[in-house]
Amino acid sequence: MTPETLAQYLDDNLAALLSGSLAGQAVSELSRLSGGANNETWRLNWGDTPLILRRRPFSADSVANLEGNILGLSLVDEAGVIRLASATEVPVPAIHAVFDSDHPIGEAFLMGFIPGESIPQRWLTDNAFETARVNLAYQCGEALAGIHAIDCRQLPDSIRPTTLDNRFAAAQKRLHAFGDISPVMQFGLNWLIDNAPDNAPCVLLHGDFRTGNLLINERGLAGVLDWELTHQGPAEEDLGYLCANVWRFGHLDKPVGGFGHYEDLIAGYAAVAGWTPELRTIRYWEIFAAFSWGLVCQTMGALWHSGNGDVERAAVARRRSEAELDILLLIEEWEDA
Amino acid sequence: MSKEPQPPTRSDVTSAELLGAVKGFLMENVLPAVSGRDQFNARVAANVLGIIEREQALSPALQALDREAAQKWLPDQVSAEDIPQQLARALAARNIPADPDFMAYLKARQLLVTAINNPRYASRAVAEARWR
Repeated sequence: MTPETLAQYLDDNLAALLSGSLAGQAVSELSRLSGGANNETWRLNWGDTPLILRRRPFSADSVANLEGNILGLSLVDEAGVIRLASATEVPVPAIHAVFDSDHPIGEAFLMGFIPGESIPQRWLTDNAFETARVNLAYQCGEALAGIHAIDCRQLPDSIRPTTLDNRFAAAQKRLHAFGDISPVMQFGLNWLIDNAPDNAPCVLLHGDFRTGNLLINERGLAGVLDWELTHQGPAEEDLGYLCANVWRFGHLDKPVGGFGHYEDLIAGYAAVAGWTPELRTIRYWEIFAAFSWGLVCQTMGALWHSGNGDVERAAVARRRSEAELDILLLIEEWEDA
Repeated sequence: MSKEPQPPTRSDVTSAELLGAVKGFLMENVLPAVSGRDQFNARVAANVLGIIEREQALSPALQALDREAAQKWLPDQVSAEDIPQQLARALAARNIPADPDFMAYLKARQLLVTAINNPRYASRAVAEARWR
């Protein structure tokens, strides 16, 4: 869809949808921001209010037959979860409008624009964010506890509780479907099965809570973005995912996302949740996160072979070897501890 | 008085040199001429050529390691093809114990594989120090 067509559709629809909440008559300064793999992100102004439009440029049906679901939730369900989160202390943008796939705009939602830095390579090193980095691990703990406290009975039907056994079975099926190409991935799955924690109660997980999906200002956490991988699971899964080696941007000495320390993350979590997660369980989920990243790399390779994606996607398939290295390294550390 | 023999003028170009030539083209000619996603992908493409270059240099060592592993853990295997795949399937069937000998093979193999695909990955230095 061209920017002109999209602007026209937005002009036709937004006046009625936003009349009670935001002043404005027309869309201006519509421009496409660097896109993610699955969704387009557009910036625009409605009157004087800056807004963000997330839009899926194709129907989910067209990729449903591909191995592995990397699309996550529909944008309609994602908007529903962000609305639930906005009723808590977790910093998220306000959702102003939602369009389903039958709408001329396509599957999309319109949300508020939160100012802040989203590029980790900048806020992980820039002096302007030094205070932010000191506060951030604790704040991430608080935010995750806030997300986990959301009542799962309010969730869309697509976000169901599951068991670890179901997830192991699904992972094994995918390794087989991808041709069993990696002894380390299979070793990792065997180990995850043999060392699984007891089934804990399912809570709402963000599912993709990592350094690259945080919006940072000079005081710390300003926004939690990209809710499309939201699912249910044990609380420590989100904490371990944030600490995975692959999301530390090379800062291995700062286990929480390349910026913080375990004790601050755990203290922030405990202050809101009222219970203290075990470090050993968090580290189990780091290994699970490494394995999951390996599966994502394999999925990227499979998508590329099916004609979906450019040279970057083909190259990401090779990053499986980073996940494999982390699986071996982290399991060794876990067993030596 | 006899003339010093001249070294021959090279007229062939090795595959490693071809890769270098294409890499130079991408970085010096393509990169400045494009923008946005294409610029990002030009950089990715230059990195991909590095993977191919390192794979050419290191795959004999990787294959030797895999053949040795097949002798130990795949006694019934008939072909030398797809050793990693046969090992993965034996692991899935729980036919190979993850004992120190087998783990040492997986670690040595992974150091080689990451040396090909991403030698600068941060945890590789940690693994290298610990396992070598």
